[in-house]
Amino acid sequence: MTGPGVLEWATPQWACGLVIGLSIVAWVLSLWPPRPRVLEALCFGVALAALDWLLCGPQWVEDGDRLESGRLVVLVDGSRSMGVLEADGKPRGAAVADILERIGPAEVYTFGERLRSGAPAAFSDGDSDLGGALDGIARKYAGERLGGIVVLTDGIDRGGLRTRVLSGAVDVAPLSGPLTVYQVGTAQGRTDLAVDDVHAGSFAFLRAEFPLDVTVRGIGVVPGSVVVSLTRDGQPAGSAVAVMGPDGKGTAHFKITPDRPGRFLYEASVPLIAGDAVPANQQMGLAVRVVRDRVRVLQVCGAPSLDQKFLRLFLKEDPAIDLVSFFILRTGRDMNSGYSPDELSLITFPYQNLFDRELSSFDLVIFQNFDYAPYFESRANELLGNVAEYVKAGGAFAMLGGDRSFDLGAYAGTPIADILPVKLGVTGNPVDERPVVPRLTEAGARHPVTQLTGESADNALAWSQLGPLDGVNLVVSKAPGAAVLLEHPTLKGADGAPLPILAVSDVGKGRSMALMADASWRWSFSEAGAGRGNQAYLRFWKGAMRWLIGDAADAPVTVETARENYTPGERATALVHVRDVAYAGVPAAAVSARVSGPEGEQTLSGVTDADGVTRFDLPTTLRGAHRVTVRAQGRAGVIGDAETVYGVTTRDPELDEVEPDTTFLTAFAADAGGRYVGPGTFEGPIIDASAGRHVHDRRVTPLGAHPLVGVVLAASASLAWLLRRRAGLR
Amino acid sequence: MRRRSFLAGLAGMAGSGLVRPAWALGSAGRVDVAEIQLGSGTISRPEAWKRLLFETIQTTSVEAEPRVVQLAPDDPQLFEHPFAVLCGDGALPVLSDAARQQLFRYLSYGGFLLVDDASGVLHSDFDTSARRLIGDVFPTRPIETLASDHSVYRSFFLLKEPSGRIQLTHVLEGVSHVSTHPLIYSRNDLSGALDRRPDGSDRLPCTPGGEDQRREAVKLSINLLMYALTSNYKQDQAHVNELMREGRLE
Repeated sequence: MTGPGVLEWATPQWACGLVIGLSIVAWVLSLWPPRPRVLEALCFGVALAALDWLLCGPQWVEDGDRLESGRLVVLVDGSRSMGVLEADGKPRGAAVADILERIGPAEVYTFGERLRSGAPAAFSDGDSDLGGALDGIARKYAGERLGGIVVLTDGIDRGGLRTRVLSGAVDVAPLSGPLTVYQVGTAQGRTDLAVDDVHAGSFAFLRAEFPLDVTVRGIGVVPGSVVVSLTRDGQPAGSAVAVMGPDGKGTAHFKITPDRPGRFLYEASVPLIAGDAVPANQQMGLAVRVVRDRVRVLQVCGAPSLDQKFLRLFLKEDPAIDLVSFFILRTGRDMNSGYSPDELSLITFPYQNLFDRELSSFDLVIFQNFDYAPYFESRANELLGNVAEYVKAGGAFAMLGGDRSFDLGAYAGTPIADILPVKLGVTGNPVDERPVVPRLTEAGARHPVTQLTGESADNALAWSQLGPLDGVNLVVSKAPGAAVLLEHPTLKGADGAPLPILAVSDVGKGRSMALMADASWRWSFSEAGAGRGNQAYLRFWKGAMRWLIGDAADAPVTVETARENYTPGERATALVHVRDVAYAGVPAAAVSARVSGPEGEQTLSGVTDADGVTRFDLPTTLRGAHRVTVRAQGRAGVIGDAETVYGVTTRDPELDEVEPDTTFLTAFAADAGGRYVGPGTFEGPIIDASAGRHVHDRRVTPLGAHPLVGVVLAASASLAWLLRRRAGLR
Repeated sequence: MRRRSFLAGLAGMAGSGLVRPAWALGSAGRVDVAEIQLGSGTISRPEAWKRLLFETIQTTSVEAEPRVVQLAPDDPQLFEHPFAVLCGDGALPVLSDAARQQLFRYLSYGGFLLVDDASGVLHSDFDTSARRLIGDVFPTRPIETLASDHSVYRSFFLLKEPSGRIQLTHVLEGVSHVSTHPLIYSRNDLSGALDRRPDGSDRLPCTPGGEDQRREAVKLSINLLMYALTSNYKQDQAHVNELMREGRLE
């Protein structure tokens, strides 16, 4: 309601004074020469007055206050749990529109991950945060008493308010209006069978059994026991039964023994039952990294020797190595010494077990001056083929020199020859008995196997200072694709290149190494005798072990993500390394990556930088297993392939819990002094009639712009001009 | 699979031995024996050790070189011969610091030393001085009696007790380092049982067991050399299980 009005001027007072002053001067001048022209002076004066009125902008202003009724604010839960199907087959949120219509005019907001104006177009938000939404409303309507606050939700709040209310630890902060809570969705009649949790830790040890427990949760009509299926990287990995308890939960226990290192995604699932309200929560995955706790090494030696002694000492004293040794202590040549077998502690060489059933249990197989023929006999090709296949499938193999090795062991033409980094088939004397100090090659200068010191210059010097080897096994040359790390300083191979003494090669997914000498023990004992300790020997063999059994991390092409598991939406990057066999980064290699997962399949491409590295951003939109397969290509063709898996495994929390939380909503309404309205019923919201806001009301009526003023101005000015013309004046 | 299969396995090995080529890498790296010479108190029995090496070649697959060298304990050449013996029958001199340090390094980095008491008496000057010497080399590690299931008793032959020219004790002693015993002490004059004259006949009689006792002594010497090469190989679970399964080990 407005009060009495006052006249105000739109033009500043000084301007008004200036206009009026100029008008008076003009009017006085119009009377010159002075003679009686009363009517003209009157008309001109009226015209000037009308003009001043217009220019000064007079307006009639009336001020006052009025009280508006309190606003009704409605908060609608827009999270995905509101999309859960109810017993009638309709989404839970379908009831929202009806309630909004019954409530009538209101200012509606949607809350979920954030607060936004308007009713939800779809129930697609992630984290429903009711407390955050109420805070947002309080800030938006600060200082105003609301007519009412209405909340439409299923009560599955993830912002912390529910926890606080149910714990009773914190009182609900006073709201700026009376609260009415409408529960949307009912607990009755729904059926849901879900994988609630998969627990196994994020890593396990190779060949060591680890437990993986799957918790199953059931609501409504669910079976008394549920068969839980488990897959590893999409392949079946077993099943177990979860017996459902009275609390609607059961656990299936799996015992898993990983047979190879790497990263694997285990995914548990339960069967879809009729009428399941949330089919999306029937699977859950967990990526597990399998690491070696101890490296399992098989050392097979054709005869005890000093080389065998020192290698065994090294292997046996390393607590990280689980060593299985088999030494041939007696051969056919030694049968005539007159001792009865009962006097001997010898056991039968279990070669059939070792090279058939047990082979895959080893990380590294070492043939140390071992000739296969006397033992393998008719199964030689088969068992040596097993070794070759074992290496190609990811195993590691080393052959060390001696009078039973390489061509002296008749390995030419066998499957072993295919995996060695050297070519066999030497004609004539296959050994050179002259002592020799091997020479470090360019590849050896950077390869991890031959790093005796941290500095490359020191490394070459260290190798040159080691004592000589007692001769070498001769080979034809290095094998295609192999890297020679140590070479003979004078002898040449068939290819004209220096004869290899130490060579390495990638073989399929595995690796092989050949040392064409049987006196690496001198790098330990002779060095110790010279007062330099045995570090050269230890570093050589540790480097060789690490490289030979290297996980995928040491492969020519590797792809890895920083973690095994990511949450939805979290940033994940794949790091791809491309190296050549001599361990140098390959720059400008074309890398293609195929990422397959719940989002579908997408192809990415990149080029390695000067260090042989490139990166890809990976999708983490949807929960589930993602497999990244990369292929690197250089100028000479394919360098290698690699793959890894990662999981987006923190399942959508909005669908972890589907039952409306009536307890929370009633407690919340009670704590806030409000009203709880259950599902399927309707009761109007509490309205505070006294609530409202004072609105300042000001009415401004412009007076200068009235048409009559213009008419008066035009008429009086015209009349004054006519009278002046008739008087003969201009 | 018991004796028959065991024999079959050995028979399998026989074929290969006959056809194996004669080529080999340098002989410098083959097993031989270094006799440590300390002067007074020590005795040299190269024929005994050659007999050991010869028996080893004949009986086992070890590629040995029937070569015996005499070295002072501080001679750097000692590191060319990882199997060494110290045999004596009298009081040994005190080691110089250089000799003590080198022997410690030698045994710590993989060398093996057999100390052989040839005195033939329980309380001898050799025994007293040898224990002092061992204590000087390993001041923090006591000499200890080897258990009856020690690898040295099964490294090639299954032995119940140590033998030698005499039967002074029924045990071997040794000093441990990490998981092995790089020094083993025999009191039964082992080299006396092995020693031979230039014509090949045994130099000394074995008492009280005669030739059977000598035979056991030869077996022990082979076991010692085999233990020096394979250390605790025969304690590996695979071997223990198999020997027990075949009833050859309790």
